[in-house]
Amino acid sequence: MSDLQRRWAKAKLNAAMPVFNELDEEGTGTGTGDESDSGTTTRSLSYSVTSETSDAVPSFPDDDSSSASSSSVSSTGTVIPSPARALFARPLGIPSARTLDPIPWTTYFERELLLPTPSSPTVSYHTYLTSPVGKGPLFVTHHGAGSSGLSFAVLSSEIRKRLPTAGILSPDCRGHGSTIAPEDPLDLSLDTLSEDLYRVIMLTRDAMKWKELPPVMLVGHSLGGAVVTDLAKKGLLGGALLGYAVLDVVEGSAMDALTSMQTYLSTRPVGFGSLREGIDWHVRSRTLRSSVAARTSVPALLMLEEGDGERPWRWRTDLARTQPFWEGWFVGLSKKFLEAKGGKMLLLAGTDRLDTELTIGQMQGKYALQVFPEAGHFIHEDLPEKTAVALVDFYRRNDRSALVLPPKVSELLAQGKKV
Amino acid sequence: MSDLDKAIAQLRACRPIPEAQVRELCHKARELLIEEGNVVTVTAPVTICGDIHGQFHDLMELFRVGGDVPDTNYLFMGDFVDRGFYSLESFLLLLCLKVRYPDRMTLIRGNHESRQITTVYGFYDECLRKYGSANVWRYCCDVFDYLALGAIVLGASNTISPNPEQTEMSTEDIEIEVCNADGQIMSQFPRTPRNARARGKSPNGAGGTTNGVAPGASGGPSGGVPTGTGPPGSGASGVSGGSVGNPAGAVLCVHGGLSPLIDTVDKIRLLDRKQEVPHEGAMCDLLWSDPDEIDGWGLSPRGAGFLFGADIVKMFNYRNDLSLIARAHQLVMEGFKEMFDTSIVTVWSAPNYCYRCGNVAALLELSEDDSGLGIFARSNGDVGRSDGGVSGGGLRNVLENDLKPGPARRYRVFQAAPQDSRGMPAKKPVADYFL
Repeated sequence: MSDLQRRWAKAKLNAAMPVFNELDEEGTGTGTGDESDSGTTTRSLSYSVTSETSDAVPSFPDDDSSSASSSSVSSTGTVIPSPARALFARPLGIPSARTLDPIPWTTYFERELLLPTPSSPTVSYHTYLTSPVGKGPLFVTHHGAGSSGLSFAVLSSEIRKRLPTAGILSPDCRGHGSTIAPEDPLDLSLDTLSEDLYRVIMLTRDAMKWKELPPVMLVGHSLGGAVVTDLAKKGLLGGALLGYAVLDVVEGSAMDALTSMQTYLSTRPVGFGSLREGIDWHVRSRTLRSSVAARTSVPALLMLEEGDGERPWRWRTDLARTQPFWEGWFVGLSKKFLEAKGGKMLLLAGTDRLDTELTIGQMQGKYALQVFPEAGHFIHEDLPEKTAVALVDFYRRNDRSALVLPPKVSELLAQGKKV
Repeated sequence: MSDLDKAIAQLRACRPIPEAQVRELCHKARELLIEEGNVVTVTAPVTICGDIHGQFHDLMELFRVGGDVPDTNYLFMGDFVDRGFYSLESFLLLLCLKVRYPDRMTLIRGNHESRQITTVYGFYDECLRKYGSANVWRYCCDVFDYLALGAIVLGASNTISPNPEQTEMSTEDIEIEVCNADGQIMSQFPRTPRNARARGKSPNGAGGTTNGVAPGASGGPSGGVPTGTGPPGSGASGVSGGSVGNPAGAVLCVHGGLSPLIDTVDKIRLLDRKQEVPHEGAMCDLLWSDPDEIDGWGLSPRGAGFLFGADIVKMFNYRNDLSLIARAHQLVMEGFKEMFDTSIVTVWSAPNYCYRCGNVAALLELSEDDSGLGIFARSNGDVGRSDGGVSGGGLRNVLENDLKPGPARRYRVFQAAPQDSRGMPAKKPVADYFL
């Protein structure tokens, strides 16, 4: 038996080596303790991680001079009239004007793609992409309702810090961001959305001329969690799908929350005087808890409507209009989550969000659970480092090419081993 | 009445004891636990319990059903804390009983007896809420590090002890008896020779469930109470262990399961356990792994530990002269579940888990061998096996279900205790934004 053990230990050792090398120097200081294996439903105690790095913009060229940063902003086509800026700057509430400037998507992604669909000419998918390197995995994300592909921007750079070969494909869902699709009648049914996500993956493969799909990890937040679970359950990706991770959505608690959603939506401002004001609102209302994340993702949520009075910046997506689809998004989610093939991980901002089905499933060991009580609903924007650590560990565990299990007893017997 | 007895009385009333007393208790408990090996030896009779998870009122119900301490000898397989609202009272009561009656109470470590896990799943917050500081949590976590990793039960009988409720029935051939909370027999299963029973099944034994007890893959309701087994009267005749008074093989108790790094019980004894539960390695696996209907080892969906199949369990039992592995860790709707030709059993003791899962709970009683032989098989993973010869074909036989006869097992199944909602923290409001 010592044979089996030795082989096991050896395999373990070999598997550990390349993993260790990949954690290059960039990772120092960002909680290396977490990186070993926190797939074990843990909450890291190293709070310093977040406080140290949450305000740093990854590879953002400038952080000091406000004039330079506003000029880089202008490249995204966002217009910030200078008198308005003075008008809306709140001397008490805003610590420094610089921290509310939008951050362009080019900081995080290699390219954006506008993918026309041959089968339905009215639809063109817009997606952000950073390609995987070599045999690296492709993290395919799907944002929640009212959000956009940039919701995963900060997370994507944190993932690549820890796993430089990883690619990230972060599309805008129809009715959101820059994806073009018929808005009347609006079709946001779950079937359509998961079909869309599948098409985006395939169209991206064709556009990038990949011979085959890289190993795919699906990551969905909120509504997106329902979409990736549905896609995983449908099995369209076949063997390319390694696993799926769902961020802060559970059927039971989502259904409970739906009744109060309209009330909540009615308390949101209808519009903003400027992008900076929009960013400011997201941070102050603690909808987003990291200003870097807000500066990155909020600009894609707002649209300038010309000549619309004092608050020309309106929500890109009219969430109230999506109500007919809400129930359809979440019904059966827990069951599908447990039944679909592939590694399963659920990241929540609180254990009390689990419903009965997933509580049972968790205690039967059917999936990995990670809880970040210090995060808000947008876990991946509030705690990008920790979410990235969890996702990269999740990938490493499910990476079939690196997985070496000890031999079965029947194999040992077949080899004539005396066990 | 000593301070300890006062503390026990107070905790039994579900009232926390003062911080200073907790500190003293934890100190004493550590002195006691440090003397224990990683694998504690326990002699039958013993009542084996699974996860408790802070469900204090259900723990009281467990003591009502299983008998009070010190009258009953208890072995708890970890996961005392988290999820329920009374982790503190539950754990401290068990710890007090351990200190008061060290020989009648065995506590082993579960994956929730860890700093990292308790910060997320409730115990930390509960301590903070009840004491205003994390000191008590810290004292308890220090105790967690000293808890044993497993236990070996020796001297369990092959025959079930007479049930006081139904004395007229013969118990000679009974291998498994399932009782309800009032001690009434719900079902009985005569002993069948394992090799006869399994004949015709696949050689690796996977999928060969016996006695109809909770068959099927891990998890999921299995259709309630088991149905009968082989023809009546064909029971014990084929097995020497079927006659009265023959000690069964040893039973290993561990919270989660096996580890690829552990092939003998002695290897568990060699671990350095006095630490936080690591993220990987043998100690982690013992507390995190699950049996599953697979061949060999598999990746655990939990993100820690492994899945292991029937072949692994049977080989381990054979090598270590065990007749059964008892473990907890997985919620079983029926309270207990035997797998792999009864070579491993899951015992779950938190009824209506999280106050909403709708499951029943169970405890497992192993009775004492009263043949008066007084000799136990060594059963500790030594190379010298109690049956003498180590034949090359031994393992092959094991895989073909020529297994050591298991001890007679009485399961007592119980429901959640009624409790008022006082003391339960108000349900947190649902998040505003969930799209």
